[in-house]
Amino acid sequence: MSREVDGIEVIGWLRSEEILMLEEGFTVGDDLFQAGLDSMAVMQLVVAAEEQFGVQLQAGDLTKENLTTAESLATLIRERRT
Amino acid sequence: MIRDVDVAVIGGGSAGLAAAVMAARQGARVMLFERQGFLGGMGTASLVHTFCGLYLLKSGPVAELANPGFPSEMAERMMASTGLGPIRMGRLDVLPQHPVDFVRIADELVKAESSLVVQWHTEVIGVRKNQGRWEIDWSCRGSLGKASTTVIVDASGDAVTAPWIGAAHEVAPRLQRPAYVFGIQGVKAFPDERRLQLAGMLVEGIRTGVLSKAALGLSFRPSGRPGELFGTLDLAGEEGGSIYDPLDPVGLSALEAEGRRVASGALACLREMAPEWSAAFISQWPARAGIRESRRWVGRACLTGAQIEAGTRFADEIGLATWPMEHRENVRGPKWHFPVEDRPTGIPLDCLRIPDHDNLFVAGRCISVDHEAQASIRVMGTCFVTGEAAGVAAAIKAGGGDPTASAVRRIPGHGNFSQAL
Ligand SMILES: Cc1cc2nc3c(=O)[nH]c(=O)nc-3n(C[C@H](O)[C@H](O)[C@H](O)COP(=O)(O)OP(=O)(O)OC[C@H]3O[C@@H](n4cnc5c(N)ncnc54)[C@H](O)[C@@H]3O)c2cc1C
Repeated sequence: MSREVDGIEVIGWLRSEEILMLEEGFTVGDDLFQAGLDSMAVMQLVVAAEEQFGVQLQAGDLTKENLTTAESLATLIRERRT
Repeated sequence: MIRDVDVAVIGGGSAGLAAAVMAARQGARVMLFERQGFLGGMGTASLVHTFCGLYLLKSGPVAELANPGFPSEMAERMMASTGLGPIRMGRLDVLPQHPVDFVRIADELVKAESSLVVQWHTEVIGVRKNQGRWEIDWSCRGSLGKASTTVIVDASGDAVTAPWIGAAHEVAPRLQRPAYVFGIQGVKAFPDERRLQLAGMLVEGIRTGVLSKAALGLSFRPSGRPGELFGTLDLAGEEGGSIYDPLDPVGLSALEAEGRRVASGALACLREMAPEWSAAFISQWPARAGIRESRRWVGRACLTGAQIEAGTRFADEIGLATWPMEHRENVRGPKWHFPVEDRPTGIPLDCLRIPDHDNLFVAGRCISVDHEAQASIRVMGTCFVTGEAAGVAAAIKAGGGDPTASAVRRIPGHGNFSQAL
């Protein structure tokens, strides 16, 4: 777990946990909300992030800004891990 | 007294309403049986609050109705009643509908037809054939009664008639999951951005053990009325410990109780955590949990998921299915499957007909399709299409005519659907 989480890893993780069906070629800067991220998916994401990355995301963390792209989500996870 | 009619419609959901009204408009003497005290089925009793499948799938900006006739009439009536138009969600257009409006619109529609009798609080409990006609047994508050009819339309949602008459039917091994929809009032504000934080609060409730994990299936949507929201809780249907079976009373009962328990817990949690929810309360329980898929008929034709994916058209089609396949086989939100080039798919009349019986038609979410296609055709906009066609076909048959697809399409107010292509 020493390696830092990045956007690519987040995309793979969102896919493998079936939190979002991201099309092939989806990039770390693409809009997750447009790809179908809704409040229900966010709940699953928070639960899964705890299991996968050991971070407890709080309600205040769940802003549109933090969740818009795989990149911003990776940043959030990195920050909360420390 | 045995009542004698031309067309008996079993079940008054969106499909049964369309079938009964359209059969009556062709002049048939129609009897509509509904076990609740109002019409609309899942769209009213289970508080499902958007009409999907009314519009063509496309990326252009303007929502375009896919089927004229009854579906378009319902869209117009609903827009006039709620004052709301279609909403764009990606490539999809949906029409918000309010169950309270739906019930009243259905009342107006049936009242306008003098040859249509609605028998509420009446459950059909048996059907058999006698010298070419159908005999129906019904039960109402301790009374048992009979009706005799030339043609039946099964719009029960659960294909209830199939086992009674020994006709082919099936239940998919992995069904779409049920959901529990309830009304909420007293929320002071519900800005879009806040949804994410509310989701975080629910997870917090689960972490601290206040809420069960089932609350992960919960989402909220404004009802279109001031201060009112709907909560939709997707459930696995296995919370009671047994395998999900929407035709089993024990499982159904567990579903109802679990829906109310989780909804109450979630509301209590949000009242504590979100200031604008401090005075929120559950204002309405559904009459029944929402069932997406159960028993289906095996008819003369079976529309498949592959045909929907390809946007297949048929010589005997009676209307168009336009909703993509929306799979809800788990509680983790929808999995979408879109047709190529956003094409609509024709619905063959033979999906509404069964082998061996010329005088029985089926409509709604239990028509003859496979599990994949059911994920498209179950939506209410499409139930209006199949209901209308079944009702018109039933009236033609009862009048001694040949209910071919072209005869069904030729009915006034129904005949120009190809113009929408
Ligand atoms: C949670 C959920 C969300 C959904 N979301 C949407 C959505 O957003 N948009 C959309 O368009 N669709 C949605 N759907 C699908 C849609 O609501 C249903 O598939 C559709 O309403 C089915 O209509 P129907 O007329 O075939 O059956 P139903 O609505 O189930 O109606 C059947 C009727 O028959 C009656 N009945 C049954 N048996 C008997 C009997 N023996 N005697 C007398 N009466 C009987 C029942 O009481 C009922 O009123 C959703 C479904 C669920 C469960």
